[in-house]
Amino acid sequence: MIDPSKIIQARREMTASHPKFERRDEDAAEGGCGVVGLASEIPVAGRHLFDSLEQMRNRGNGKGGGVAMVGLDPEQFGVTASILADSYLYAVAYLDSKVRDAVEETFIHSNFHVDHIHEMPALETWENDLPALDTRPPDVVCYFVRPREDVLDEFISVKLQDTIDPNDREAASEEFVFHTTHSLNVEFYAKDGRTDAFVLSHGRDLLILKIVGYAEDVIRFYCLDDVTAHVWIGHHRYPTRGRVTHPGGAHPFGQGIDCALVHNGDFSNYVSVKDYLAQRGMEPLFFTDTEVGALAFDLHRRVYGYSMEHVIESLAPTSELDYVMLPEDKQEVYSAIQRTHIHGSPDGPWFFIIAQSEGTTHRLIGITDTSMLRPQVFAYQRGEVGIAFCGSEKQVIDAVLDSLASEDKRFWRRADEYWNARGGSYTDGGAFLFDVRPTEDGGKELVMTNKFGEVVDTHPSGGYGAADAAEESPLKLDKMDSELAYFSVLEALPHMEWPEALATLEAIESNALSAGREWVWNLLSRLLDRRYDTGSLRRSRWLDSVEASLIRTISAARHQPCDSFVGQVTLGHHPTPASGTQRIVVDARPYPPEGTDSLALELVALHKAGWKRFVLLHCRGHRFIGNGFGPGTSDVEIDVLGAVGDYLGSGSDGMRITMHGNAQDQVAQIHKAGELVVHGDVGQCYGYGSKGGRLFVLGNAAGRPMINAVGSPKVVINGTALDYLAESFMAGDPLEGGGFVIINGMRFDQRGEMLALETPYPGGNLFSLASGGAIYIRDPHKRLSDSQLNGGAFTEMTDEDWAVVEPMLQRNEEHFGIPLQRLLTVEGELTSPSEVYRKIIPVKSKTLHAEAAWAGHAD
Amino acid sequence: MAMLQDLVDAYKGKIVKPSDALLHKTTHLIQDGMNARAFGEYEKPKALGDARWTDELILSTWYMAETGEVPDKLNFKTGKSDGGFDRLDFQFLPESDWLEHSEAIDTKLPLNRRGDKKNKIEIDIPWYGGGMSYGSVSVNVMMSRAKNAKQWNSFMSTGEGGYPPELYELKENVITQVATGYFGVEEETIQAAPIIEFKYAQGAKPGLGGHLLAAKAGEEVAKLRGSVPFVSLFSPFPFHSTYSVEDHSKHLDWIETVNPKAILSVKVSTPHDVDMVAVGSYYAGAHIIHLDGGYGGTGAAPEIAKKNIAMPIELAIPKVHKFLQKEGVRDKVTIIASGGVRTADDIAKAIALGADGCVLGTTDLVGMGCTRCSNCEGGPSGRGCPWGLTTTDIELQEWVQQDWGAKRLDNLYTAMQWRLRDILRKLGLSNVRELRGRTDLLKYIGKEAGE
Repeated sequence: MIDPSKIIQARREMTASHPKFERRDEDAAEGGCGVVGLASEIPVAGRHLFDSLEQMRNRGNGKGGGVAMVGLDPEQFGVTASILADSYLYAVAYLDSKVRDAVEETFIHSNFHVDHIHEMPALETWENDLPALDTRPPDVVCYFVRPREDVLDEFISVKLQDTIDPNDREAASEEFVFHTTHSLNVEFYAKDGRTDAFVLSHGRDLLILKIVGYAEDVIRFYCLDDVTAHVWIGHHRYPTRGRVTHPGGAHPFGQGIDCALVHNGDFSNYVSVKDYLAQRGMEPLFFTDTEVGALAFDLHRRVYGYSMEHVIESLAPTSELDYVMLPEDKQEVYSAIQRTHIHGSPDGPWFFIIAQSEGTTHRLIGITDTSMLRPQVFAYQRGEVGIAFCGSEKQVIDAVLDSLASEDKRFWRRADEYWNARGGSYTDGGAFLFDVRPTEDGGKELVMTNKFGEVVDTHPSGGYGAADAAEESPLKLDKMDSELAYFSVLEALPHMEWPEALATLEAIESNALSAGREWVWNLLSRLLDRRYDTGSLRRSRWLDSVEASLIRTISAARHQPCDSFVGQVTLGHHPTPASGTQRIVVDARPYPPEGTDSLALELVALHKAGWKRFVLLHCRGHRFIGNGFGPGTSDVEIDVLGAVGDYLGSGSDGMRITMHGNAQDQVAQIHKAGELVVHGDVGQCYGYGSKGGRLFVLGNAAGRPMINAVGSPKVVINGTALDYLAESFMAGDPLEGGGFVIINGMRFDQRGEMLALETPYPGGNLFSLASGGAIYIRDPHKRLSDSQLNGGAFTEMTDEDWAVVEPMLQRNEEHFGIPLQRLLTVEGELTSPSEVYRKIIPVKSKTLHAEAAWAGHAD
Repeated sequence: MAMLQDLVDAYKGKIVKPSDALLHKTTHLIQDGMNARAFGEYEKPKALGDARWTDELILSTWYMAETGEVPDKLNFKTGKSDGGFDRLDFQFLPESDWLEHSEAIDTKLPLNRRGDKKNKIEIDIPWYGGGMSYGSVSVNVMMSRAKNAKQWNSFMSTGEGGYPPELYELKENVITQVATGYFGVEEETIQAAPIIEFKYAQGAKPGLGGHLLAAKAGEEVAKLRGSVPFVSLFSPFPFHSTYSVEDHSKHLDWIETVNPKAILSVKVSTPHDVDMVAVGSYYAGAHIIHLDGGYGGTGAAPEIAKKNIAMPIELAIPKVHKFLQKEGVRDKVTIIASGGVRTADDIAKAIALGADGCVLGTTDLVGMGCTRCSNCEGGPSGRGCPWGLTTTDIELQEWVQQDWGAKRLDNLYTAMQWRLRDILRKLGLSNVRELRGRTDLLKYIGKEAGE
């Protein structure tokens, strides 16, 4: 590898020869973003990102959208496989097409052999067809280039002082490309604010495209519907300023060689990172924090030659308890990295998704910031084809799967796993790499590793093969009540193959005619929600089938209403309920996720029309469900299927909401009364500022659950929370009706068996600054330590405590089928509650000490 | 809990609601004392006031609150802070060009300029009452302000401490504040309000969140906020659900779902990039951008923060005004300024600098008897303000009776409106909205001229 100091010196000289560029007022400040990324064993066409990005428009504002693609199809660019692999794909955006000749003359032909020129097609009817676009996207020309030998020789001898190892010629050529791009961007983009042309990307087998608009319009405008790649990133930007005239500031950023970086969030230390880079000879030209992020990533990866683990550590440093938990040798390296690079490490909210072309490997990386201030979800599905995702919301992942499944039977609509990561954690580092690697037989293989380079098993058990249903189900369920039928299915399922399993679902569906839809609803919703052994069937695909059967049955109520269900026929259709128990079934898809015509407000209107019970189908990121009903809603009941959006059940005052699957961020914010049950995970800021009611989560909560809660909220989280649980919790005395959180710290294995997590709570901050309430945590082996508490203390778990905990766990059993007995069983032994659960109460802060002293003084 | 028990004991049984006789005696003593000083019957108290709120400003505010007229012997226009509003003056026309007294001068201010379907709200005067929470002040103070807001077809904000049930009768004139701790934020209180105010930061203490000391978080306060009595209550400095502008936009969408008619105000402090914050808020859907400069806040804000973190409001207003003009959206949004706005003169200057109107907090309190002693937390006893303003102590809070407080504010606003019209008249403007951004009508008074 080339001595980094040589590279940095050469960069310093280059930037010194350019004019200085200061961030001007006109440069757009960075805002938030929405992002989806995928890595797939088979090439994926651009159209599959379409719905996903469209559903996420509310995370952007139409003033910056972009995509990155890695692992392209050479034919679609008119090149051979070897040119695609070996030449740099030098993509130039021409905002003013008049400068093309000058760019080609001064930068392209003089520096490079050009193997091929591919002009990106453009949708010329964009003004009519793409109403959200008001600025014409740039013309993009892709030059497949290699540095000219003589020019590279000169670069090596003059800039790198001819001291490099001949084996480093490849590395020198990468640096040459980096220099050329920077100089081109200075000349045609930054100088005098001319913004005539700039380089979008310059990696091998990698392309970035961006516009002033929404990301799905990138796909439409550049006609990428059928263009394929193994790795895709789509990104909506939300620059705060109003007028944005060119897409230079949009993501992804491709300053690094062979990588494209997008980011959701906002560094609070942009200036510090910029200075850090300036000391190393780099000047940003686009003035967004994402650009400096991309430069820092490339510096650490390519110039310093760090392993991915160390690059990630340099960006998201490990601290607090996580650092302590690391082995000593790692601590030593990490602390050296932190000391050296802390000023180049982004602070504040950020989440990076990176597409990388690393030789023959196509890679997607997701890196979570250590404070977990941005929402992110990871997922994978492995059928005949392996595919992995990371994105801002679960629903955007589901939308891609939905689109893929509708065309290709090898995919189905539900990932095998979805999870949130904890940035800088000692267990997996909160960062994941999804590599699509070539296999010996010419195929591709998806391999997932964590920050530490450890391969994560992404091969769930169970067959996923789509088979035809058998003639007949082995079960005779039609005469059973739904409860008995449920247990019969559970008993038989582990011994079934796909044909029998599907036949059983068909039998259940057809039983609606005689037993009624309510029977099917009770049975299938349980099969959808609960954890149990699916035997030889892949769980995610089985649930996909169960959900499809359930939706078919309930949707039929649209044209054939029954006593139990009435379907909304058209948008805004408000039938009159026949009884107080009849449910109205609403298909979420035609409704926007927010705003005056939103699904949330449609539910409020239906409620005003007399409806009390709702079933929502096909949610696609619909936000604010259950909001706006106002006070006193104890007779309202809402069941939600699909991928719900943020703020589910926020502000509920009495209603009961059941989420049949994972929920997203801000669930149960300011929840006042009633019950909210989530048969899955919840996202960031669960129960923020809640005041009461009962909240149940089958899985995990992401960062910051139950902060600032007051009054009497009572919560059961059967998994764990990532960090900052119940910060500033103020909810009274749990023994006198106040609030509390029960953490069970459990997970389910593939057979549906409950197992205790390695630690019931992995975060370094628990119950910080709390002044009321309590945490009851299942921790029979005393894994939690005082160091995780900041303002809390362990105390004895008494019979009085159990008297308030037990009813909540009984209710938990009713909702999730998690036996109370099982929770009290430790290593096969039934154990007393006081030995299984630990109680954490607030202790007086120093501030309070001082006040009490004053008060005493006054007496 | 033993330690807290001391505090609780300090209250229980020892402090009671004052008898009618005691109430009569004390309120008359306080009120007579204020009047005597405002009317110049005594020398000005030596320790009264500070550079921003000088003794004359306090006494003149008391005078106006008592009489409804501006005083002729006291400076009721400016303080002596040596900067900002105190170094600005108006470029009045020659007296011959002044408008006649008989001419109607319009002081109305529309708050919703987006032209959407939400509430069309116009207030009679270009200012309203800023957020002071239940807990930081008493129900009597809140009710006095709300009653006066109704009188003036204007508003007052709840601050972040819940929505005392008494307020519902005046809900048409009450802004519900949504702040980082969500104290008192419920669908019911969101639906009750014609305006919802998001408090992202407070100019007096940006980045510090909220903090109500344990002693003031007594039983009634704790009940309304749903907390444990006599423990300190924190509001975090950020909204934990809002770390990004798209989160902010989602936040506004949430309120729209709960109360589709409410117009949205976004209260921010004044960091160096306040213009970016403002434009981001506008695009996210805000109707009102409320800029809170560094000089506001009661004595409860930490000294280290007050005046030292946020930008002075006099700098922030033109920065935002011009930026929004350049963006071409200035006429779609209302800019409200606060944080050091004391008098009608200050309001007129803020408007001339580019704001549409102002928010008053401390001025209201001074009108009801605040002496700016900075003892809002009530010193060792922790019972709160000795004048009964910033307290929920069952005895002390009675020193401010609702009808008296409302009347004082009504008088004060009458005098302030008169003065505002007086300024407009002398500038030849018949409408306060014409004053906006007219920096040409202001002049800087140099040190010498000002002395």
